[in-house]
Amino acid sequence: MLSVETRNLEYRYGSGHRALKGVNLSLQGNDPVAIIGQNGAGKTTLVKHFNGILRPTSGNVLINGVDVNERSTARWAGTVGYVFQNPDDQLFLETVRKELEFGPLQMGLDERVIADRLERISGLVGLDDKLDVHPFDLTATEKKFCTIGAVLMMEPGIVVFDEPTCGQDMAGNRRLEQIIKTLARQNRLCITISHDMKFVTRNFRRVVVMNQGNVLVDGDVDEVFSQPDVLRRSFVAPPPITKVGRAAGLKETVFTVEGLMDAVKRQKESEV
Amino acid sequence: MAHALNSFHSLGTPLERMHPITKIVAVLALGLSALLWPDFTLGAALVLVLVVVAFLSKLGHPFMKLILGFGVPVAVMLLFIQGGYSSRNVTIIADWGFVRFGLEGIEHAAKLVTTLLVFLGSFYLMNKTTYAGRLVAALTQVGVSSKIGYLILASLNVVPQMQLRLAVIQQAQNARGLDTQGGLVARLKAYIPILGPVVLSSLTDAQERGMTLETRGFGIDGVRRTSYVQVHARRADFVVGCGLLLFLIMVAVLSVMWHCGIIPLPVLIGGSR
Amino acid sequence: MALWDHPLAGTDRGFEMSASIAVRNFSFEYQGADARALKNVNFEIMKGDFFCIIGANGAGKSTLCNAFVGLVPHYFSGKIRGDILVEGKSMRQSTVAQLSETIGLVFQNPFNQLSYTAGTVAEELAYSLGNRGIAYEEMERRVQDVARMMRIDDILDRNPAELSGGQVQRVAFGSTFIMQPEILVLDECTTQLDPMGGEEIFDIVRRLNERGVTIVMVDHDMERVAEHADKVMVLDRGKVAALGTPQEVFSAADLDVHGVEAPDFLKITRSLYEAGMSGHKPDVTQSGAIDATREALC
Repeated sequence: MLSVETRNLEYRYGSGHRALKGVNLSLQGNDPVAIIGQNGAGKTTLVKHFNGILRPTSGNVLINGVDVNERSTARWAGTVGYVFQNPDDQLFLETVRKELEFGPLQMGLDERVIADRLERISGLVGLDDKLDVHPFDLTATEKKFCTIGAVLMMEPGIVVFDEPTCGQDMAGNRRLEQIIKTLARQNRLCITISHDMKFVTRNFRRVVVMNQGNVLVDGDVDEVFSQPDVLRRSFVAPPPITKVGRAAGLKETVFTVEGLMDAVKRQKESEV
Repeated sequence: MAHALNSFHSLGTPLERMHPITKIVAVLALGLSALLWPDFTLGAALVLVLVVVAFLSKLGHPFMKLILGFGVPVAVMLLFIQGGYSSRNVTIIADWGFVRFGLEGIEHAAKLVTTLLVFLGSFYLMNKTTYAGRLVAALTQVGVSSKIGYLILASLNVVPQMQLRLAVIQQAQNARGLDTQGGLVARLKAYIPILGPVVLSSLTDAQERGMTLETRGFGIDGVRRTSYVQVHARRADFVVGCGLLLFLIMVAVLSVMWHCGIIPLPVLIGGSR
Repeated sequence: MALWDHPLAGTDRGFEMSASIAVRNFSFEYQGADARALKNVNFEIMKGDFFCIIGANGAGKSTLCNAFVGLVPHYFSGKIRGDILVEGKSMRQSTVAQLSETIGLVFQNPFNQLSYTAGTVAEELAYSLGNRGIAYEEMERRVQDVARMMRIDDILDRNPAELSGGQVQRVAFGSTFIMQPEILVLDECTTQLDPMGGEEIFDIVRRLNERGVTIVMVDHDMERVAEHADKVMVLDRGKVAALGTPQEVFSAADLDVHGVEAPDFLKITRSLYEAGMSGHKPDVTQSGAIDATREALC
């Protein structure tokens, strides 16, 4: 069973700033989880604990029941994949192919296994025709997909994405949706930080709202987005369709056009 | 978190308020005085003065560490080399068999060490008490090109910038399964993949920095630049600066006169004409 | 009487004088690239317009923004044809620094906007003012104004190297806006901000536009574009695929083909209209979508 658990997790930066103030969170299963909140709420600080990039100042982080402190970050890489916000920090080899193969080679996997994964994953991230290109020559979004591919190649049970939607266009967003769905289907736990509420409400059932180093709300997406004052307090604006539905007097919280249409019909029927 | 610009931290001392140009004058005047003076006595006296100034500027502890940490080993080394092997040696004061110490060499070494310490100590105090932005603003005020000012600030910034990048890139590589812990060889090997992104990102940074500066008007010609950092010369700065220059001139004149044999200075120890 | 006021003056000339930016047969190919990034592009942006550029990644949006401020071709070299006139000045014949007097660009990556020569946020903001030789008193006034506006007045003494992405984005924006350019080019400049922070900066942009500043904005947020743009241009593989009001552009049937999604407001009103649930015509604005939904609920 995949799980990430934090117990009274506190983190203090060298400057003395208390970025996390006792976070208790338990993430399990294969339902993708979104972490949202204001800039500086502690989202990145929190997820950097999931593979030990940061170590708790106090409290514990348990990955599949094992204390994160028991291994180095590099040792966690096969269990927890982490995609950084800036792909330039993560890419360093001469070709996309080498980037993708790097992780599994480090893990000492069999050549055939690697070739098989390469075929599947390069297709998933849309780089199958760019395998021999230097990552430096990729566009910013392609670089992002290259780092995602490099992490997925290790087939970690838990995958963390930090702001994958940043700068993505329609095609990029659709590809990300595809990747998140695939991960769920393969029984992996995907944890994503995002500012894009359209993207969050479309792809995630569970949403964690952070505010000033604490978890403000943690629950089902409908439940979270039906609390306007909580959202306001955490500086999160609901997505456009949700806003329209609420402003028009719709009682249900809706995220899609179809959802809105159905809710309108239901509400009319119930009023008759 | 790495510090940007230099290692300046405000402590609110008088030396911090002193005009940066006055401080540059001080470094040059004190250092040159120690160099020109026939023997090491003036240098030694100036080092003592600097120690007092350092303590008054709340920098006594690190200053002593620098003076002792650098001064003692260099002094021992120079005393040994110059004292034992200098060609000036005439008066032998000790004979250890394999090496014979001459008074002239030792005096020469003492002068070298004290002069070095005056330069180093005064420069250290200037650096520690001057905010780089203020230094550059002052230099631009007296007519130094803004391009040179930029070079000073940018080069001061390169190291902390690189350190920050290196830390993030190291995290990113650890997350990809690259161990940067362990033995020396393992760590060196692990640094190779990290260097790639650091160098590449520094190169793109440099290009983008150039673009940014242009869009922010760096290349505008025919305009007298102004600065947000205001440096006003106070009377005290002027007086201290003039005093230091006068001091230097006096030392120079006396030294020249002594060299020419016009006056016999009450030189305490040796002094090589 | 000025030349362009004369009844006999060429209409072309008169037309150009009201255009903030006039793009004329403009093509550009990056050195070493196998295709042109921009292909014979022609359009005008009028003074005081809120002009949005949308399109898939790689369509040429950033290249165009860089061309407006002269970074293309003065920094990115390549083959260039045609010209762009910025307030009548040819970008090919002006330096980037000269153009920066009229047109300001906020980069996609805010960390690239910093000069990295400043020890404090206040100095960073004032950097471009110093390059223009603006007197200290005026500098201080503008720094305080911009800091209040961008809500960074509490971090003026902080070291820019120690700020978070969101804070840097505000500083980057402020450092451009402080020059009071007549034209402001925003290349996806709110991506690092949380939704509320993005809205806040966007409100400032709108206020500037109301005061007469021409805004050119690249954005992936279609609702925002639909709601506020006077004109929208769709770029697709280096060519202008559509140009018009948001209503015109987003209503086009081939929008998807160009890698652009219609705003949710239009999707709502269209679906309700087509299902016969509301009589409200398809509309790209939020208020339109709310009205249509209300009507459907009645």
